Parts: sequence; C-alpha cells; structure tokens
Amino acid sequence: MIPLRIQVEGATREDPFVVRLSGATADTTISGLWDALLVHSEDEKCAYQTRHGELRLSGIRSSDLAGDVLLVDPTRKVGHRLLRAESPHNAFLVTERCDQICTMCSQPPKRYHVDLFPLFQQAAVLAPKGMTIGITGGEPMLFKDQVFELLRRTLAARPDLSFHVLTNAQHFDETDVGILRELSNGKVLWGVPLYARESSLHDAIVRKPGAFDKLMNSLGVLARGGALIELRTVVLKTNAPALESLAEYVSVQLPFISKWAIMQLENIGFGRMNWDKLFFDNSECFAPIGAAIDVARGRGVNVALYNFPLCTVPESYRAFAAPSISDWKQRYLRECDGCVSRKDCGGFFTWYPEARGFSRLGLEQIEA
Amino acid sequence: MKIWPLRFRELGPSRVLFADDAGGYFVSDPAFLQRYVDSALSDTDRKFLYEHGHAFNRVGDLQHTSFTWRWTARQSAREKIAYVILVPTLRCNLTCTYCQVSRAAENAKGYDWDTDTLEAVLGFLDRLETDEIKVEFQGGEPLLRSDLLRRVRDHCRKRFSRSEFVVCTNLQRLGPDEIGFLDAVDTYTSTSLDGGLLHHERYRTRNRALTEEFFENLDTVVQRFGQRVSALPTVDIDDPPEIETLVTAFESYGFSSIYLRPVNYHGFARRRRAQRDDLSRWNAFYDEFIDFLIDRNFQTGHVMEEFYLSLCLRRMLQPGHDGHVDLRNPSLPASDYVLIDFDGRLYPSDEARMLSRIGQIDLSIGTAHDGIDQEAIAARVPSAFNNFDPDCIHCPYQPFCGTDPIDDVSRYRRVDIPRQDTWFCGRQLAVFDKAMSLIYSSDERVLYSLRKWAGLATWPNSLAPEHHDTSAHTS
Ligand code: SF4
Ligand code: SF4
Repeated sequence: MIPLRIQVEGATREDPFVVRLSGATADTTISGLWDALLVHSEDEKCAYQTRHGELRLSGIRSSDLAGDVLLVDPTRKVGHRLLRAESPHNAFLVTERCDQICTMCSQPPKRYHVDLFPLFQQAAVLAPKGMTIGITGGEPMLFKDQVFELLRRTLAARPDLSFHVLTNAQHFDETDVGILRELSNGKVLWGVPLYARESSLHDAIVRKPGAFDKLMNSLGVLARGGALIELRTVVLKTNAPALESLAEYVSVQLPFISKWAIMQLENIGFGRMNWDKLFFDNSECFAPIGAAIDVARGRGVNVALYNFPLCTVPESYRAFAAPSISDWKQRYLRECDGCVSRKDCGGFFTWYPEARGFSRLGLEQIEA
Repeated sequence: MKIWPLRFRELGPSRVLFADDAGGYFVSDPAFLQRYVDSALSDTDRKFLYEHGHAFNRVGDLQHTSFTWRWTARQSAREKIAYVILVPTLRCNLTCTYCQVSRAAENAKGYDWDTDTLEAVLGFLDRLETDEIKVEFQGGEPLLRSDLLRRVRDHCRKRFSRSEFVVCTNLQRLGPDEIGFLDAVDTYTSTSLDGGLLHHERYRTRNRALTEEFFENLDTVVQRFGQRVSALPTVDIDDPPEIETLVTAFESYGFSSIYLRPVNYHGFARRRRAQRDDLSRWNAFYDEFIDFLIDRNFQTGHVMEEFYLSLCLRRMLQPGHDGHVDLRNPSLPASDYVLIDFDGRLYPSDEARMLSRIGQIDLSIGTAHDGIDQEAIAARVPSAFNNFDPDCIHCPYQPFCGTDPIDDVSRYRRVDIPRQDTWFCGRQLAVFDKAMSLIYSSDERVLYSLRKWAGLATWPNSLAPEHHDTSAHTS
C-alpha cells in the first residue's frame, strides 16, 4: 500500500503548515517560500531545509516524494501527503460533517470539523502542473463559501489545474448561478450522487427526507451555471431494479450532465456494515445495469462503470468499465495473476471481502 | 403544469406521432389528439407528458431547464471554419454522365489554379481562426495536379496543429506519384463506386479496359490503405443499380457503410428529363434498399448501414449530430466550411458552385484573395432557418431537420416555394417516416439492425415511447 502519512520531526513551529518537497539535493529550480529543499537522503530517511526548521522524514525514499505537497502537523509529528506528484488520485478532505447518512457511505460523517481551508489553499497553488485535485468530505458544500473561494482563487492563480468536487448537492440555490458561471470554463467537475428517480427510494437510501427535491433543484442550478456534472449512482440491491427507469429520467431531465457514472459498492464505512443488505452481485445478473446503459447511450448520455472488475461485466459492456479505483486503495486477487485484461482493469478495493463478494470472477470469463 | 406545444403527424391507422420543439417524441392515438386539441387531457395524459419531458411547473424548475437545454442542443451553433473543399483543377480524365458542369477536358487550358491563386489559397488558410483543419480535394480529378495537392498539404502540416486530407478521386490513374501522395496517415482516399462492373462502366468509364483499371486500382488502395479508403455510389433514379450487386460490391471491399445519394442534374441535363415522379421513385428505391439491408444483415450477420439513415436515427434519438448539412438548422452559409473553386472563388457548397457555373445565379461568397464577403452571407440568413417556415412549424420532424435553400434554387429557381412541395422536404419526410417506422417496429430483423447501427447490446422499449389512456373519455 502507498503510505499517505509520514513521520516528520524537527519542525520549529507548532501549528500545521504546508511545504512542497523538492526532488534532488541540487534542485535549484524551486526556491519559493513554501519549498522544502532536500539536503540529505539515505534509504528511507531524508531531510529537507524549510522555513520552519530542518524536517527529518522517515519510512519513505525521497525519490518517491519529489514534488509532493505535504501538510505537516508538528504536534503529532506527521506529514500528510496532500498532493502526491506521481498520482492521478489526490483529494482534500475538507470536512467530515454531512447532512445525509447514505446507507452505503464509505466515509461516515463525524460531528467535529477542523477548518483547514487556508492550508488547502496554499497546497493547491503548489500542485504539479495540470493536476486534478479532488474536493471531498463529508459534505464539502456545507462550507460553500470557502469551497467557492478556494476554487476561484486557485484557478485564478493556476489555470492549468482542475478540480473534482464530490457533493450531495443539497446546498445550491439560485444565488450560486453567478459564481458557477465564473467557474464554468471546464475546470471544475461536480460529482453528484443520485440513486433513483423515485423520490421516496432516493430519500430512503440517503436517509434524509426531502433530499431528492433539493437535489433536483440544485442540479437545475448547476445546469444554469454551466457546470460540468458527473452524476454518480452506486448500484445496490435496493435500487438496481429501478436503474433502467433512472436512465430514462437522466436522459430526459438531466441531459446536460457530462457523464453518468454507474458505480459498484465499496466495502468500508456503512458500506461494510450494510454489505449483505446492499451488495448487488452483477457477475450473476448484469441485466438491469445493461438495460440502463443502453437507454442512456441510445439517448446520447455518456456512461461509465466505476469499480467494476472487468471479468464481472459481460463482454459487450466492458468498454464502459473504467479503472477507477484509486491507487492507494487498490488491489488484485489471486484470480488476477496472469489475467490478460489486468492492465485495463481497476481490480478491487483493498477492503474487498472475498468471501462475500462476486460469485463469478476471473480469467475463465475473459476470452482473449 | 404547463405543456410545451406538440406537433403531430399520422403514422398509420390509429397511430399518431407527437413531438415537441426539443425533439421529444412519442406515439399515441387519435383520441389523445382530440383531448389535446380540446384541452381536455386526463390525469394519466398529464402524468405521461410531465414524466416524459413535455411539461413543466414553473419557469426555472428542473423540467423547464432541461427542456430549454434539449431545445438549444438541437440548434446548430456557428463555428469556426475548419473544413475546406479545394478544387485545384476542373480538368478530368473521365466524362461521367452525372458530371456535366463540374469538369473540363483533360488537356483544356485555364482550368487550374495559377500561381497567384495557389498563393491566395494558402493565404486564406493562414487567416483561418482554427488550429485544426480538414481539407477535401475535389475536381475535376484532383490527382491530375498532385503537385498542387502536395503544396497545400505541406503548408497545412506546418500551419495547423492537426490536419487531415481527403482526396476525392476517380482512381483512374494510379502511378507511383499518385500512390505516393495517398500513402500518408493523414490522407484519406474517397472514390465513386456505383455498383457492379457493368453499371460503373455505363456511367463512368464507358470502356472495359478503363473499368478494369479502376477496379484494379481500387483493390490496390484498399489493400494498401485499408480503413483510409471510402467509396460513395451515385444513383440515377432513371436507372438505379441492382441493390444486391451494389451491396455486395461494397462489402467485398470491406466497406460497412453506403451513403445513397440521388444525382442532381443541372442545366441542360435537367431540362431534358421528366422530373415529376423522380421523388416518389427515389423514395421507393430508398425504402426497398433499407428493407434489403435489414433482411440481409439479419440473415448474414454482416452488418451494412445506409449512412444517412443511421445519422437520422441518431439525430432523432439524441441531441446534436448536425454535422450533415441537410440536418442542420440554422444552416448558415460558410459557417464551418467553404469551397474554393479552380478560379479562386469561394462557394458555400459544391451545389452552389455548380449552379453558379451554369450561369443560373451567382452564389459565390467571395474570393480566396479577399476572403468571405459578409454581405453576401447576410443576404442568405433568412432562408437558413426552418424554425419559422409555415410548413415546418407543423412538422414533428422539424427539430431533426435542416434546410437547403441552394437545392431549392437549383430546382425551382427560388427559395420561397411551399416547403412540402420541395424535393428536399419530400425526401426528408420519407427518411424520417422510415426511421420512425423502424424505431417503433417490433420485427426481430429490424431490431437486430437497429441495435447494430446504434452500437447497443439491447434495443430498449423506452426509445419508442407510447401513450394510450383507454380509460379517458373523449367528448
Ligand atoms: S481477473 Fe482480470 S478482469 Fe478480473 S478482476 Fe482480476 S484483473 Fe480484473
Ligand atoms: S423540410 Fe419538410 S420534413 Fe423538414 S421540417 Fe420542414 S416540413 Fe418537416
């Protein structure tokens, strides 16, 4: 597994700060206030010169850290790798609060909130060229003003960057159309979950009465603001039978979305607690998903399957399966050894429960 | 609840097609039509209309926003010119019967770009705003001037970040020089293939040796360049090709798409011909051709499509897909492509150049030297829309359809002819009717082809929405 937290010692201040790690001892191309200059490197120990003292890092090679942006918490002596230069999967977890309690939530909400927006703002500006940064939670848009401000300021300073904001879209209103338009030059993708076209079913899944109506209102606001929208639907036992009907709804009422991601469940958080009630084994029955894909594509909606191992998807739909699982939580099984499709396949979440997962997996289903 | 206006058209006994301005369609019955015109819709009617995107509650709600989005997505946006058709020479080494006015004899003088014109063309390309370009070389036979083609191609490769070239050639002469030009990954070969050997010979080569030469050359380019070769048939409705022979010929060269176009005669050639029933014969031929494909696809499993029908199907099911000029609305001249003739004059299309050439009307819109004449463009804007045409506003196919004022001028010498009396409309209506009948078919053979053409694994029922409220009573 890729380490996301690193032991850090030697900071001369107490409150958290952000630094960007240079790649080589002689790297003179970076010299900003926020840069940490590599001064010593040996196996899994390295030292960096910063404004806040000489930081000593252990447990990882400096070569794996080149260009990373680190959030250093001196009292706990840890550095969080906020942005990993070599990875396409980077996100700021801006809050753990949320106003929904979705049955499959992978990151169940917590009450307390630490405001780190100023540090995220600094980190974003230090990101490697062209990076896409995720904004996630909890529900980031509980702090709507701060998120908008973060997006606006970062993109003004760094037009090469992009953002992917995961939001339950409960908090947009007509007054947001202006700022959304300002941000509508293709740099911000709003990932928004929708589970069913029947409001009662959707509300039951997110466990918040009235959520569906708020969501539809927000989607209208996003559309009028010219926002790029990635609609996200996790397939569950509860909503799978309603998926084809949802596809019709999407094509008629949400034709402005950029992409519809149909997703498999992640076995963590509430997803782990409710796994047996929720997990829909598409390796046994793909029909409702296939029907939804055909409706959506027939109507010109761009569809993708996230978190589906390729061998669980019938041949004719495999082209839609994207290798979507982030590198730091991805693994493969014994079945995958020597699989011809492994390089195109996203595999499994680290916490995938083999004994209670897909009933049909593996090579014998991949004829190539 | 407010309902967006619906247009309707009878599809068959007791079957009425309805469509809104954004292209949302469904089939219902005369009883529903009666309730609709009487403003006496049942609750079931209203629920159906709301759920299928034909209604909204208040301006600015999601249903209103999505409808306006779908409407807007059907209007063609004006774009930068990124497609240029070049005619470096009008001379040709064949005398096909279809081609009376757009050619000159092979050894004629004064029908090629001179040095000044070449420079003007290159200058015109330089001044385009686009960074990516497609260039189509037409003629005459453009390969007679492969030297000019090379000059243009070299220039474009340097000037644009991406460039692609299509050579429309009769493939009659294919020496090392011609092959050498076509042999490049950014260069595509497009030729004419009218059917079997005899048919091709009757209309194009009129000489067995030449015919055999053409087929040999076609073999050569297909073998060498594979997917970079395409072919188009030209169909004369007075003597249409044998359908099976045509399809087999295309399949034998590995083509999976055939674009059926009727030849449009100009000038003398037109006047000599009785045109009156051309349209109905064309539509009958087209219909027979599609049915043949559907049967054949189902039986052989080798799928062949008719290009225009596939495109219309996509355009009816989805927003967008208005790349074809006949399906574009508004269709503004020189909005994203332009033609430069052998004498450096600019035209909005090939048809426009031919009409101007026979002296019927001057449809040029500038010169390569001076650029596009915006006044000439502005004069044509009114006829570029179908939204307000007195016939089209009642037609459920309007959201999918385009407009072709140049075809109207060519056939009737005016653009203000009642739409439904035009060739253009007659052909469009027939294709759209055919497409609708396929969408609503339950014939296994039809569904097989629809799935294959659309690239779907199943053909969902919701692509053919139906509404019938049998419990509603009609006054
Ligand atoms: S067996 Fe192959 S297709 Fe299946 S999960 Fe493993 S790598 Fe993916
Ligand atoms: S041209 Fe004919 S088919 Fe097209 S919209 Fe007008 S009336 Fe309908």
